[in-house]
Amino acid sequence: MHELEAALAQIRAAWIAGRPALDHCPADWRGIVTGKHPEVALASLAGHATSVLFRTAPSTSLKPRPLLPALALPVMAEVLRPRFRRILIAQKDGFSVERPLIDLIAARGYCMHPADWMPSPRDDWAPDLYAPWLDWVRAETKVEPACTALSIDTYERWSWAERRAALAHLRNADPAAALTIIAAKAASEPAERRLRLLEILDIKLAETDAAFLEKLATDRSERVQAIARTYLARLGRPLHTDDLATELGGMVEWGRVGLIHRRTRLVIKPLKTPVQSARRHELFRLVSLGDLARALGVSETRLVEAPPDGAADGIDAFVQMVATTGSDAAWRALLDGILANASCPIGCLRALAPRLSAAERRAILAKIIARDDEGLGTTLAVAGRQLGLVPLSVLQAAPAYASLRSLLESAGNGADTRRPPDNARLAAALNRIGLLLDAPGAAEMAARVASWGLSPADPKFDLLHLNAALATETIS
Amino acid sequence: MVADTQDQGSKCTCPSRKFPCKHAIALMWLFVEDAAPFQDADSPAWVSDWMGRRRTGAASAASKGAGETRSLDAAREVTVEAPLDPTAQARREAAAAKRAEETRRSVRAATDDLDGWIADQLRTGLSGFLSEPGERCRSIAARLVDAKAATLASRVDEMPSRLLALPPEERIDGAIAEFGKLALLTRAWRAAPDDPDLRRDVIAAESRDEVLANADAPRVTSLWEVLGERVLTRRDGLVSQATWLMNLAPDAKQRFALLLDFFPVSAGRRAAAFVFGERFTAELAFYPAAAPLRSVIVKRDGSTDAPGAWPDAAADPFADLAEQALATPWRIETPVLLPERRLCVEASGHGWWREIDGVAIPLRGAPPTLAVGATLECAAGVWDGARLSLIAARTNWGRLGFDA
Repeated sequence: MHELEAALAQIRAAWIAGRPALDHCPADWRGIVTGKHPEVALASLAGHATSVLFRTAPSTSLKPRPLLPALALPVMAEVLRPRFRRILIAQKDGFSVERPLIDLIAARGYCMHPADWMPSPRDDWAPDLYAPWLDWVRAETKVEPACTALSIDTYERWSWAERRAALAHLRNADPAAALTIIAAKAASEPAERRLRLLEILDIKLAETDAAFLEKLATDRSERVQAIARTYLARLGRPLHTDDLATELGGMVEWGRVGLIHRRTRLVIKPLKTPVQSARRHELFRLVSLGDLARALGVSETRLVEAPPDGAADGIDAFVQMVATTGSDAAWRALLDGILANASCPIGCLRALAPRLSAAERRAILAKIIARDDEGLGTTLAVAGRQLGLVPLSVLQAAPAYASLRSLLESAGNGADTRRPPDNARLAAALNRIGLLLDAPGAAEMAARVASWGLSPADPKFDLLHLNAALATETIS
Repeated sequence: MVADTQDQGSKCTCPSRKFPCKHAIALMWLFVEDAAPFQDADSPAWVSDWMGRRRTGAASAASKGAGETRSLDAAREVTVEAPLDPTAQARREAAAAKRAEETRRSVRAATDDLDGWIADQLRTGLSGFLSEPGERCRSIAARLVDAKAATLASRVDEMPSRLLALPPEERIDGAIAEFGKLALLTRAWRAAPDDPDLRRDVIAAESRDEVLANADAPRVTSLWEVLGERVLTRRDGLVSQATWLMNLAPDAKQRFALLLDFFPVSAGRRAAAFVFGERFTAELAFYPAAAPLRSVIVKRDGSTDAPGAWPDAAADPFADLAEQALATPWRIETPVLLPERRLCVEASGHGWWREIDGVAIPLRGAPPTLAVGATLECAAGVWDGARLSLIAARTNWGRLGFDA
């Protein structure tokens, strides 16, 4: 074998350089390497020998990866998988449904088949259910199975995604215990993960967290410092941005507004130049609600008692400021004010939504749907992971329902849907409705939309059909 | 097959270039005559796919633009074919035999030129050949086309893409193997120019009708599973759609079947003719060959949900491959059924099918993420002498398809 190998190497070297290779022909082959083109005959034998006798070898020793772990929930039914794949392919052309769809399926008690969807290493948004897969795709191996209770002693035995999910769960059940672990272990984590640990403190943030957060004022990471500052602001600690707050106070007004029902509220008037508007926007980001209230000489809760009035971009920036740095009382007051005031743009709620609990989200969904004139985009944002719960009777009150019906009926039995803008709008509307409705509602909605003129075989029905079928699986 | 009742658009999995095809017309006819059997039901996934892609109204607009009035009268006209004249028939057969002889002579000369061309590439150095394989192969491929060696020309024309798919350090060996296979093929054809297998690999394949009429074409009736398909756009402007089937019978002699279809690039993207993983009972007629593989479906029953494992794979599938390589050493690709193993990926991203004793087979392309974290209980792939292209596998997560 070694002689043949050496001969083949010499033949190969000769042909690379364009030299005759017959001199290197193995003795056994000489009798058949004949004819008008002996080099060609030699190529036949050399090529065959090389491909049969030798195979490429890996440059390093190969070690199989651990098997992908099974998840706690059952995999979605086989029959539904093609529809899911088709929805993911279709979303590339328009409104992205990947995240809410994964949430909807998890909410119905199923997990994805890994051939259809797996989180990428950066998909921290994935439901906690997928923590074992996140660890797997990040090639993080656990020392021990995650059955051990999470504590300071067992912290290192947990892989990152599972540890984070367990900490979030613990924070909900026992905030002090979670704080103890985070306070003890955060310093040993890199900045990005430190930040993710601190985000867990957002759950049930309380005065008992203040001491730990104050220590983070000197953290190595500016992003960690920033998040600690906003949490402290929410707990009523000043950000010491008095100069900026005074400057911002000069760009807004605190006064009485309205002809009949005059009420004192914040007025954020349009500014003359884009530069001024940008500066005000920046100040809203840097200043805390408490500092602004002090600059205006009012209390925090008084400042948000009535929703602000004025320029839309200014109102959005103010609401964002309240969401980030407002106390729980101030945040709640503004939320209630926006919900109670029909003239206030409902889109403002998107910024306030992250601080809502699951029960609160469910409780206010009906009110938002009735006012959401932005194609249910705000409703979806507020719903968060509370998807697939809205009855059809609630959706019927939505402006989106009426506009969908008129869009289809005016399109004349679907003949006009080839126009891309209408087609995309229709697909986005049906997808959002499909994500929000409960299963019976989704089935009924599909029937109604078909009666309005859309072909029953149209793939835009996919999400509605998937929603309806998922419930059937659960019930059975 | 699907037909839209609103604008008479239609879609069929048949390879016909006529639109609408006869199957779609037949479906519409059935619907017009009696719509009762057409009950409301869930649309299959591929119908929704088609609905999502097509432009509604296009078909009706086209038919309106044509401004034709169609009538069944023309279709009802009976065309009487003239009886065959024995003299003319004999003359036609003689002309065909003469044309076949001329083709043989012409191809023989072209294969001699191909041997000379290979010798030239070796004489001038493979480094030079690999620096411009496209131009060099195109020139000899054109010569082969002129000499009516169409299949051989296409194979030579596609050689650069096969070589360039290899890592640079393997291209020299790849070129030697390609040249060697070409030389073996031309030598074998010169020895037996009437052998149907060799004629198919050098000149042209038989038509479907010829295969069906050929008594020597082996026929196999069994339960088949659609493993997957590979669609390649060739340099000659044709798209080849290769669908791999596997015979699920435990002791089948004919384990794999390949359905090949060709259509022009201008015809646009064509949907898969089968659902991957679909199982059906069918009779297949194989193109006669020493190791039959290419086939056509003679008769097919509906899809079945019959459960069942894949057949057992040989303990050392690559030993079988070496034997097959001796029977038809010029064949580029050979299907193979692999036993339970794991896939591994190097830091460089290269994938490997790893045997128990540590020997590893290189994969063409990086495997899907799931395949690396699953146990491949059984896998089917295609071995091209350098790389293994996996088509489908049974894993602990169920059936897994590999994008070919």
